[in-house]
Amino acid sequence: MARTFHPLVAPAARMLVCAAVLALAQPVRGEPAVTWLESYEDALEEARRTGKPIFLAFRCAP
Amino acid sequence: MLTEAETRRGRLLQQYVTARITRLDRVDLALFDYDRYNTLYFFVLNADEQIYLRYGGRDEKSATSYLNLESLELALEKGLELHRLHQQRKLPGEPHPEPLYARDIPALYERTIGRGRCVECHLVGDLLNVQRERDGTLDKLRHLYRAPELARIGIELDIPKGLRVARVTGAAAEAGMRAGDVVRELNSEAVWTFGDFQWEYGSVPLEARAVEIAVERAGELRRLELRLPPMWWLTDLTYRNLSVDPRVYFASDPLALGEKADLGLPELGFASRVRTVDSLSDLLGSHELQVGDIVYGVDGETADEVARTAELHIKLRKQAGQTVTLQVLRAGERLDLPLKTSRMSFRK
Repeated sequence: MARTFHPLVAPAARMLVCAAVLALAQPVRGEPAVTWLESYEDALEEARRTGKPIFLAFRCAP
Repeated sequence: MLTEAETRRGRLLQQYVTARITRLDRVDLALFDYDRYNTLYFFVLNADEQIYLRYGGRDEKSATSYLNLESLELALEKGLELHRLHQQRKLPGEPHPEPLYARDIPALYERTIGRGRCVECHLVGDLLNVQRERDGTLDKLRHLYRAPELARIGIELDIPKGLRVARVTGAAAEAGMRAGDVVRELNSEAVWTFGDFQWEYGSVPLEARAVEIAVERAGELRRLELRLPPMWWLTDLTYRNLSVDPRVYFASDPLALGEKADLGLPELGFASRVRTVDSLSDLLGSHELQVGDIVYGVDGETADEVARTAELHIKLRKQAGQTVTLQVLRAGERLDLPLKTSRMSFRK
């Protein structure tokens, strides 16, 4: 009888996809450096200080 | 040496405060609401938490169908333009939704913060539905079908060009949309990216029969009334399997019309052939289905206006923990077989 893996293996697969598509938001080698903050509160504070808009990325898994 | 494209992207990003969020413990889930079954999703906003645009969105084939560097750069440029308008006080503000944090959702809190674990995006989607079920407010059609497909209304985008239309068929063609049009509004809400478009489209009530789409053509804005086809919101739920309770531990494919007729089964029924049986079904004593069985009924019901397979019918219409009786055809013999459903596990 054919069997499948339980669907709870799906998060692992999704993490792999995450890692792949995260390249969209990552600077390529040699590109001008971009600093990524890890805190939303820090981003708000920095935006208030600099007057810049915020580019906020949500990733499905760390 | 940097290519022109790499330099352009770097320059755009340097005009932003860039931040990435990997846990949603202290994020306002209402303000940053999106289909949590996107693997990567972006917002452009200002320090007053006014969201200018979204970047992301998906289709049923892949979480990355609409992610593209060129269209991301277009979105970054648009975000800067909108920010300049905001600074010049030329951009109207938007009301904030009522804040909602992970700690405000008991089912989510219990499984994450309460156990010292991080609040991951997909857990928000899953456990928000668990909480809705507890509260008696879960509407599976509304809450599961969150990312309607543009293909169902005949719009194919030129993805690197953002919302530029590559091809039109069906309802979009009948509404007068043309290749080369650029989508600008949906029901009078400005949309700048596919993420904006899918977000607004996903907010249209399921019972809606039409939407107004404004397109830019030769420098002019044209408003088109697009008649929505029946079940315009229907998508394959397979990719959000974790969100859909109850567990049934099998998958099946719908029978062709001719096969239904040959077997004397109703043409509009959800009769489907078992394709796979989950390895947990034995362990949990869930059911004794075999690959090749044809499930043509569930508790005597044989048709469903939404579900085209027996397992989707159970997922949409039954509660986790219920035991149902399946009407099954096996080697020409009609059987009644019990199936005990289960609730999803959040093992990490």
